[in-house]
Amino acid sequence: MTTAVGAPAEQTRARYPDDEGYVDRDGVRVFYEVYGQKEPTILLPPPWAIVHSRIWKMQIPYLARHFRVVAYDGRGNGKSDRPDTADAYGEHEQAADALAVLDVTGTEQAVVVGFSWGGQWSLILAAEHPERVRAVCFLGAGPGLSGKAFPYEEYPFDEELDTDEAWAKENRHYWLRDWPGYVEWFFSQCFTEPHSTKQIEDAVGWGLETTPETMLLTEEAPTLEPAEAYELCARLTCPVLVVHGDEDGIVPYAEAVALAEATGGRLATFEGSGHCLQVRDPVRFNLMLRAFVESVA
Amino acid sequence: MSLLEAEREQTRARYPDSEGYVERDGVRVFYEVYGQGEPTVFLLPTWSIIHSRHWKMQIPYLARHLRVLTFDGRGNGKADRPSGIAAYTEREFTDDSLAVMNATETESAVVVGLSCGALWGTLLAADHPDRIAGAVFIGPAVPLAPGHPERNVHSFQDRLDTDEGWAKYNRHYWLEHYEEFLEYFFGRIFSEPHSTKQIEDCVGWGLEMSPETLIDSQDALELCGLERFRDVCTRVRCPVLVLHGDEDAIRPLAQGAALAEATGGTLVTLEGSGHCPHARDPVKVNLLIRDFVESLPGRTA
Repeated sequence: MTTAVGAPAEQTRARYPDDEGYVDRDGVRVFYEVYGQKEPTILLPPPWAIVHSRIWKMQIPYLARHFRVVAYDGRGNGKSDRPDTADAYGEHEQAADALAVLDVTGTEQAVVVGFSWGGQWSLILAAEHPERVRAVCFLGAGPGLSGKAFPYEEYPFDEELDTDEAWAKENRHYWLRDWPGYVEWFFSQCFTEPHSTKQIEDAVGWGLETTPETMLLTEEAPTLEPAEAYELCARLTCPVLVVHGDEDGIVPYAEAVALAEATGGRLATFEGSGHCLQVRDPVRFNLMLRAFVESVA
Repeated sequence: MSLLEAEREQTRARYPDSEGYVERDGVRVFYEVYGQGEPTVFLLPTWSIIHSRHWKMQIPYLARHLRVLTFDGRGNGKADRPSGIAAYTEREFTDDSLAVMNATETESAVVVGLSCGALWGTLLAADHPDRIAGAVFIGPAVPLAPGHPERNVHSFQDRLDTDEGWAKYNRHYWLEHYEEFLEYFFGRIFSEPHSTKQIEDCVGWGLEMSPETLIDSQDALELCGLERFRDVCTRVRCPVLVLHGDEDAIRPLAQGAALAEATGGTLVTLEGSGHCPHARDPVKVNLLIRDFVESLPGRTA
């Protein structure tokens, strides 16, 4: 029995993994995949349990021609388990999963791409295990260093609201009432570029592979405080690239500016891009990431 | 000047190596040449509602392997917009095509025709067997089999009391709601999901011409001496490949099948495809075109 039972049949892939398996930590199994052989290894952590590792489908086939690529489904979605406590989804747990995947795949060191919330997990991993992380590419990431409000914080999460328009959908009661409605809204805000219907449809499908109950646990999980994040940034010694769309509707662009400053990293701005620019503008992102990886190899 | 009204063209993946105008009876059409190898693939115009940019997913790939020739047919793009039905007959398009081949010193070519372009392509192959080495027809609009019944309900010429669905295919509606017609028509052409970009492109190209010119070209298509078309088909001697989507909402698959049969060609049915698979599923179509060209007599793989 796997947790994927009931999920819709997966689309065909441009590239299938060379190796795959589970890593078990404290009874929670996380599913990983390995593609290609050439070092260095690129680790693609998940961004949030609302999607799983297929979010990287436009990266894997290209990158695996040039590097070894390790991706995994984060706890809460895909073929990974859905633990039933909030603590299990905390940021240090997520970073520990990343480390466990590096261990089980025999990866001594990797370039880590920290996308969205995965940026925090990658930050913890890189700061606490510098010998395992050769470089970090932050992508649409924002650990709260800018002091700017995030769009989805417009309404209180826990209160019953008298509206469910727009970001009023970022609400516990709405999630339980109409999870598909939230997923569609959320991804419409992730993919703000025109002609994104395919990307939205894919992501909505992945979002429906988890449940609002599981997602509420990710909201209740312990998170990094900005001061803590800032301190972790200061500890980074590896090369850092920060990539961000200047029309990101989830994580404000100001976060990327602050993150680049705090880590001493280079900032690459994608004009007109939204939150998931690697999905929507994959050629450009892939070429940039490849150049970055080669520059630190 | 319609070009001044046109929006600035999008950047291209590949720009032509040479370009120019050919003039016939005072009407200029605009051609482009890409790449070098042999043979030449000649991407014909279709109905004037769009111009040669509709081949944009073919040109960069094919030009890496072959010489590619294309042109804006009369009525759109950088070509002139003569007025009157007589300027848009299938004979005029065929003669323009031949004139473009002559101007570019193209002795022989493999023609590729979309929709109405299959009419000009079939005529070219039948009448100039020494110039046409092979023919690929995509979603051919040919009178060899009945059209979709829902497209035969409403009059094109008469004023209608509805504009629902295919009732938009009406000269009065075009004159008053041209952009809405284009959006409907290209929405039907691209019946595949996730086609917003292709629809937006085509609507933009459609807006580069006027509804008056489109009406002339539509009336000319209606006047074609099509009862003779089957005889034209039997005169085609070159290899023929027909590609047709089985969900083509503009021209039924039966028309493509009949053209393949009438010309002794091969039919490839594209499952789930609409009327413009070359724009919506370009990799598959490009490989089919290239494989066809490589299979022609005299080619060494």
